[in-house]
Amino acid sequence: MNRTSATVTLNIPSVDVAVALLRRMREIRQFEERIIKIYPTDVMVTPVHLHIGQEAVPVGVCAHLADTDKIFFGHRTHGPALAKGLSMKVLMAELYGRTTGCAQGYGGSMHLVEPSKGMMGSSSIVGGSIALGVGAALASKLRGDSTIAVSYFGDGATNSGVFWESLNFAALRQLPVLFVCEDNGLSNVMPKSAHMFADVERIAAEFMRVLHADGTDVLSVYGVVEEALVHVRAQHGPAFVNCPTKRWMKHQGVDVDDLAINPVDRDADCPIRRLERLMLQSGLITQEESRAMVAAIDAEIDAAVEFAIASPFPDPANLVREV
Amino acid sequence: MPWSRIPQSQSKVDGNRIISFKDAIREATDQAMTLDPNVFAIGLDADDKFGVFGTMLDMSHPDRIIGTPISENAMTGVALGAALCGMRPIFIQLRVDFMMLTMDQIVNYIAKWRYMTQGRVKVPLVIRAVIGRGWGSGAQHSGTLQGVFSHIPGLKVVMPSTPFNVKGLFLASLQDDYPVIFIEHRWLYKNTGHVPEAMYSLPLGKGAIVRPGRGLTVVAASIACVDVANVCEQYGYDAEIIDPQTLKPLDEPLILDSVRKTGRLLVVDYDYPACGFASEVCTLVAEKAWSSLRGPVSRLTFPECPMPASGVLEKAFYPTARIAQRIEELLGAQ
Repeated sequence: MNRTSATVTLNIPSVDVAVALLRRMREIRQFEERIIKIYPTDVMVTPVHLHIGQEAVPVGVCAHLADTDKIFFGHRTHGPALAKGLSMKVLMAELYGRTTGCAQGYGGSMHLVEPSKGMMGSSSIVGGSIALGVGAALASKLRGDSTIAVSYFGDGATNSGVFWESLNFAALRQLPVLFVCEDNGLSNVMPKSAHMFADVERIAAEFMRVLHADGTDVLSVYGVVEEALVHVRAQHGPAFVNCPTKRWMKHQGVDVDDLAINPVDRDADCPIRRLERLMLQSGLITQEESRAMVAAIDAEIDAAVEFAIASPFPDPANLVREV
Repeated sequence: MPWSRIPQSQSKVDGNRIISFKDAIREATDQAMTLDPNVFAIGLDADDKFGVFGTMLDMSHPDRIIGTPISENAMTGVALGAALCGMRPIFIQLRVDFMMLTMDQIVNYIAKWRYMTQGRVKVPLVIRAVIGRGWGSGAQHSGTLQGVFSHIPGLKVVMPSTPFNVKGLFLASLQDDYPVIFIEHRWLYKNTGHVPEAMYSLPLGKGAIVRPGRGLTVVAASIACVDVANVCEQYGYDAEIIDPQTLKPLDEPLILDSVRKTGRLLVVDYDYPACGFASEVCTLVAEKAWSSLRGPVSRLTFPECPMPASGVLEKAFYPTARIAQRIEELLGAQ
């Protein structure tokens, strides 16, 4: 596939949107890169599943969501959580296990929550949270309100029964839910050819409208999700967006993935470089502005780390609480 | 908040109004759906013409009764997702055996969600679990398993036994912001009793003394409590019968106070013995009322095998016929 010719001609939505997309992707990237630096010092005692390389998908999706729209995601949380509006401070504090974290240190990296941003919790058991998004959409429909829900998952989750059960029910009830598959082609170290026999897009099309986006190109994701959400918000039923992308890091932890089955071209496959290059070429941003953006985000992450370190640990006297 | 209008408890008697256990659930469900538009019912055959053993017949809000495909795991997740977004779902499971397909959602999600988020989201979700022997239903359609659910932190486990308490406990469960496993023995549905028409709730975590006595404390929930009461009535045993009503949280003071008075404990639990409810109550008493005990604690439970189909074996599987003998053995030891 000639990716360049397919995407360069895409409309850039507007300067503001392009800048916002670039900034959000960089926030995720730089946040994750900071974790890589900090992690070996053992101050974050929580398993992390980094989002590096896959930033285009959560950012392209969440750019279209209001705070009242719900999103349910799985174990790889940092990308969609930051994209949906979780503050870096409370995320960092959660990773540090402090009371100022979004779950007061009881959740950890895989269990993030921020109700004011439409994040009602996340799950590290692959598959199950797909159904929660469908339930959120059912709540919207029963109430007759205008919110929608997103079930956000990876290609590994399509192996699970709960995925197909959820597609079926969402289609039967014509619920306002968008299924987003952040398809990095890997289930831990297993390639898709070994974990999924059939073409998920083709089978899902039996249930609902299915669209395909380039998950390494944020403008592709942004455009395709916009189209899908027009369908969902118009109460025409659920939709499915598949976003093939590239995982740069190991399934878990802070090491680079060296799997032969997963070759990564850090230039062509990088959603941030692709958008930045396009914006520089078309004069939407200058080199100086771009560098300033990186520096501003780094300063924000510095502040998040300081905030986390200065925050108290939970009191063991409160071990049994909210249960 | 419409729920604050429901009084916590009320006199059992409302004139001569006598209705069945199943009609009490039906009435409570219907009243709750009328009171609060966030209440809805969902489950396999929740909307079928038999109406879930008659508990869902002729409802006033059929638009909020949702039948589902045979997809227990995802459908439980759907109910949870709706609960997290402010709805109050009633998830109906026609057999507790089917709930084994949903244990991922129940144990990993529903039970843990409020703790994992430290209460930033509430989980107002009731799962109605129908339990109990049928007529030769056999091993896979006759389970009880209240012990399994009681083992999991984060779940409340409620077991009504009468038309009066099923209505009050169900409404209390529906207004609770923690998930509740509401366990109904199917042989209770036809039982009748006084049930006030107005809405009322009975507090979760509070048991009831069904019959006062001095020689022995018998703790029994759900239909086991009814069976024990019938036996004691028939033979006039001097036994104090305690209906815990909720297995979790358990009304420990009620049980301990009774044992301190009687000095003896029998737990009749229609479930498996190992690591079960009966074992839990015996442990409680051994730990906290040891010096009051005049003899060993005693359990009457299912045997360690699945439920068989043949009527002769099914009857032997339930310890009901052995209640009188066990009580006499314990009373005779005084």
